[in-house]
Amino acid sequence: MCPLDHSAPGPLSADQPSGSTQATESRIWPSEGYTRAPYWVYQDAETFLQEQEKIFRGPNWHYLGLEAEVKDPGSFKSTYIGEQSVILTRAEDGSLHAMVNRCAHRGNMMTREAFGTAKKLYCVYHAWSYTLKGDLSHAAFSQGLRGEGGLPKDFKHADHGLQKLRLETLCGLVFATFSDETVPLEEWLGEVAHGIRRVLKKPLKVLGYDTQRIHANWKAYHENPRDSYHANILHTFYGTFGLSRMSQESGMILDKTGRHVYFYTKAGTEKKSEDYEKTSSQLRSHNDGLKLEDPSILKWTDEYGDGVSVQILTTYPGFVLHQIANSLATRQICTKGAGQTDLVWTYFGFEDDDAEMTERRLVQTNLAGSAGMISVEDAAVCEMMQHAIGDAQKGQSFIEMGGKDLDISGSSKLSERAIRNFWHHYKTDMNF
Amino acid sequence: MTEFENHYRPVEQLIYAWARTIDEDRVESIADLMQESGRYRVQSRFNHDRDLPLAVIDCKGVAQLRDRILSMRKANVYQPHHYRHMISGIQIISEPEPKVFEVRSNFLIVRTMDLSGDMKIFATGQTQDLISFQHDKPQFKDRLFIYDSRVIETLMIIPL
Repeated sequence: MCPLDHSAPGPLSADQPSGSTQATESRIWPSEGYTRAPYWVYQDAETFLQEQEKIFRGPNWHYLGLEAEVKDPGSFKSTYIGEQSVILTRAEDGSLHAMVNRCAHRGNMMTREAFGTAKKLYCVYHAWSYTLKGDLSHAAFSQGLRGEGGLPKDFKHADHGLQKLRLETLCGLVFATFSDETVPLEEWLGEVAHGIRRVLKKPLKVLGYDTQRIHANWKAYHENPRDSYHANILHTFYGTFGLSRMSQESGMILDKTGRHVYFYTKAGTEKKSEDYEKTSSQLRSHNDGLKLEDPSILKWTDEYGDGVSVQILTTYPGFVLHQIANSLATRQICTKGAGQTDLVWTYFGFEDDDAEMTERRLVQTNLAGSAGMISVEDAAVCEMMQHAIGDAQKGQSFIEMGGKDLDISGSSKLSERAIRNFWHHYKTDMNF
Repeated sequence: MTEFENHYRPVEQLIYAWARTIDEDRVESIADLMQESGRYRVQSRFNHDRDLPLAVIDCKGVAQLRDRILSMRKANVYQPHHYRHMISGIQIISEPEPKVFEVRSNFLIVRTMDLSGDMKIFATGQTQDLISFQHDKPQFKDRLFIYDSRVIETLMIIPL
């Protein structure tokens, strides 16, 4: 625990990873429970450190990447779980491994590249080298020279490997956990695994990356794709061009614990109702009369044959899988201090896509990501919220759309159930 | 005078005109500097160097560029901000077909936030252009902005 500085609870710049410290008594959760999120949780530095321990190193599965990114034996990728740099490798025998990107000797960073191939993992500082499974294979001058120096006689290589993580895969997605307690991945995902299986039906091919640096707390972003209420209101593009409207057939599915969720919408299914007409006429998205000169970027094929035009799937605490028409991508939340989040978008298609399908997916990148005509608002809203909470000493959000409970059944997207469920698990994990 | 030297000034003027049009918040007018069938892309060096095709902005034809600008003006939500382009190192490197020149230049774009006044280097990198001359009038046939950092700060809504 960091010592608390009661005298200086000053405001925190969104750029500053170290945050204001706050009096312990102000870190008491509002009595309403998970229907409120106090604004200090988005800013407090001590809370941020606790999250790293209890959530990111806690009993949860964290997305590391796609099997397709480390396709060949000897390939590796470096990424993050929370603040921790992690390496994902494929060993010579084809098996996947995850380990902390830090030499077991004196803590130097092992891998400096985003992607690469290697026969072994080699620390430049003192030439300790490790197998792609993370076992120590060699420490330079371990026997010393001319009878002097060297490691102690009782030094056991087996005790000094890189810190290994548990790893599991599902449909080409790779997840890892620091904890021995985490239940198996598919059990952890529960019903939400169906949403993953639906989209990732064949071997994948990476099309490219987009990293979006959002100057806001990671939870502000995590709430966003769980929030089906905002999608058709904030994102004008969805409504105006018929990709997703509240009036279309849609649904929300949570796993039985409520940690994970996915939403879907079927374009071309309009259910007329009077109250919809009345409300939607007041929405910005229906008032602008926006027309595309060249609507070809919205042309999509129903590649899954179920009519679902948009599916947004979120797993606790930092992973999103999206299908927006034919655009497919994962989004990984990498925390960078309490006030910054790097959101890594990995776009992909299937290995057997023809040129036309690949082109369609690439063109629809215009809709999502850092420059996405649909999704560009999300980062803006997270930052505006971070700005508006000021020094975060006072105030809390109100999360009662669709009721005050955690009820995971029912399918209306006009509900903040998925956000309440997030805060429920967050509070539990953090002992708030 | 070589063909390159003969065409250098108009090429330079066209590249500066694009930048100034955006910096002066007349973004709609960049469409006039591009052929109707022209292509405008913004891609990270991270993807480009790895032969990954993904571009964060990919407009095939000026109509799609106009749509993007319309979306920026009418639909999208973001904190108001401006760009300032610094352009250097404009070089014509080849003439792949008659009256079409392959041109490289460097760019550095500073983004200034209207409300807070915060200024940041938003993007730096290289443009790879094909500039076509028809009746002595130069227009972009293909504009590719390759930005050096894999990271985009917050969002990219104004075209580079």
